[in-house]
Amino acid sequence: MIRLIGIGVSPGVSWGPVALLLRYPLALRYAITVAHVPRETVRLEQARELTRRQLEQIHARVLSASGPDLAYLFQAQLLMLDDQLLVPRAQAIVAAERINAEWALQRAFDEFCAIFMDTGDGYLRERQGDVADVVGRLRRNTRLGSGDGADVLLDLDEPSILVADDLHPSLAGQLDRRRVLGLAIDAGSRTHHSAILARSMGLPAVVGLGTITRHVRPGVRVLVDGFAGAVVIDPDDELIEQAGTDERRRASVTVTRSDVSHPVTTADGTPVRFEANIERPEEIEAARACGAEGIGLFRSEFLLGSLPLDRLEEEAQYRAYRDLVERMSPHPVTVRTFDVDEGRVVADDEHGAPGLLEMSRGPLGLRAIRLSLDRPEVFATQLRALARAARYGRLRVLFPFVSGVEELREARAALQAACREIAAREGEVPPVQAGVMIEVPSAALTADLLAAEADFFSIGTNDLIQYCLAVDRTDGRVARLYEPLHPAILRVVRQVARVGRQHKKSVAVCGEMAGDPVALLVLLGLGITTFSMSPASIPMARRIVREIRLSRLRRVVAGALKLSTAQDIRAALSDEYPDLARSQQRRDDRPGTEGDHGER
Amino acid sequence: MVARTMAITNALGMHARAAARFVHTATVFQSRVTVTRGARVVDGKSILGILLLTAARGTEITVASDGPDEAEALEALCTLIQSGFGEGA
Repeated sequence: MIRLIGIGVSPGVSWGPVALLLRYPLALRYAITVAHVPRETVRLEQARELTRRQLEQIHARVLSASGPDLAYLFQAQLLMLDDQLLVPRAQAIVAAERINAEWALQRAFDEFCAIFMDTGDGYLRERQGDVADVVGRLRRNTRLGSGDGADVLLDLDEPSILVADDLHPSLAGQLDRRRVLGLAIDAGSRTHHSAILARSMGLPAVVGLGTITRHVRPGVRVLVDGFAGAVVIDPDDELIEQAGTDERRRASVTVTRSDVSHPVTTADGTPVRFEANIERPEEIEAARACGAEGIGLFRSEFLLGSLPLDRLEEEAQYRAYRDLVERMSPHPVTVRTFDVDEGRVVADDEHGAPGLLEMSRGPLGLRAIRLSLDRPEVFATQLRALARAARYGRLRVLFPFVSGVEELREARAALQAACREIAAREGEVPPVQAGVMIEVPSAALTADLLAAEADFFSIGTNDLIQYCLAVDRTDGRVARLYEPLHPAILRVVRQVARVGRQHKKSVAVCGEMAGDPVALLVLLGLGITTFSMSPASIPMARRIVREIRLSRLRRVVAGALKLSTAQDIRAALSDEYPDLARSQQRRDDRPGTEGDHGER
Repeated sequence: MVARTMAITNALGMHARAAARFVHTATVFQSRVTVTRGARVVDGKSILGILLLTAARGTEITVASDGPDEAEALEALCTLIQSGFGEGA
């Protein structure tokens, strides 16, 4: 069993054999003689007609499955297909430069991108992705017989999990819910429209997995957990059985207004706060509907899309942040400054456009706050945008990947400078709280020193686990060592929580770890009472909190901390909280046991 | 020729869906339609042209229409923009 962690973008759990979809960069380029110009021109025309038929089918399917709002995306693609700037432009290039059809299409797309980047506005970047989608489909269709990912899917013998390096919306729109059980995708942000389509189809999906396509072979069984943002390769039967029960249990959690409209407290009266991790301002509504009392983690790098760091202007960022705080009001919004690495923009061979957002994982190089401090202009632009937005609601700033006090000081100074500049330019800026993401072991070990100069902490469990345990979670051969309940992790969390209490600084946990009921219990027992998680995980977590007595849980967790292995710790919790902790689900099938957790 | 300047009001700006609605409306009319943002002038019947305007919420654009049904075209396009492309705020 290998467990990989990504970002859950569509809730649900499913499992099945892998169908692998790789967009091999077919980049055939050659010069043609003048006599072949008509042939290439006709190929482009044929590709356009084939593409039109495919898009019309996709449009019809999405219209019936997901409704007119999403279907309109494909109306837009059909318009792009007939735009003078695309196929006619490529045909002109064929004639003028005597190059083959695919190359000419690429050139036409490059011309579009060049103008687009010139006026680049990151907030609206997904449009380029839609154009790239049309161009990619056209290019595949210029090579008759080269097939299309979706043609392959039509021949699948059994329903499968689609594992892909990237997934454009038109391919996502082509998926047949009866044949595809779930999605696991290497790429991160560019799959945005695909993620919305997956949610609308009720298809569990995890993106940002980095290299999962390299770890699976077609036919291997995988489990996609869209709640936890995890994918398990070759899961054992026990895990599959658990997942099935969890899925039914979750399905039984009906979210009613009273469920989510009040702050939640434990059975013995301790308030516990749930906030949401989101990537896009549009997710605010879902977060509120799930009972989120704030945005605990807005991953601001998703605003970049495929833009280089320095192309996202202050104005576009400001609009996005202001939109967030206004829509979340009166609750707070915590924006994490860009968590990307130096090599974030790599050429996408298929489309030639600057592309794949490399999610920051693994590298210990110039990333996150280090990159921000290294590029003071980029950082200042982001901080000014944040300071402006802070005038319209409760906004907090979170610095990622801080390793020591010096970085915090430097970052805070930059934030203060930005606030002063905005105050002079636009009027008073309320104090903006600045927090540290605890995800580097050195930050955890010096939490007391950081607490003296930070306003709050947010423990980023995904990276903290990876770096504490020195496990590259994207390397399938060692990913099983990535263990959230490792005693080292629990000690670190306990220590940071303690420091927070001593210094009266709030400590939240914002990794996906808290989406696992057992891990949630452990974190609560360690003294964490603020969580930020994917919106879909919140209703379940709130229900668990309501049912437990913190006084008893603290004793149970204190006992578990004396155990030597994660397995023992999980077993200890499962023994104490069988219904909550998933290990003895059969009890759920007996009448009268619902809500009986031996607490009362 | 008739023209009017206004701000984009919907939250997502003239993204793919909104641009498609604009082009669909513009192509109903015979008149030539252009849209201007700053120094950039694009064909109002070209979705890629509209996208190149990168008109986010708050952006001021000028819609111009020239031809036999220019008044109706301008009225329809301005109504669409002011309605936030039917997307609400």
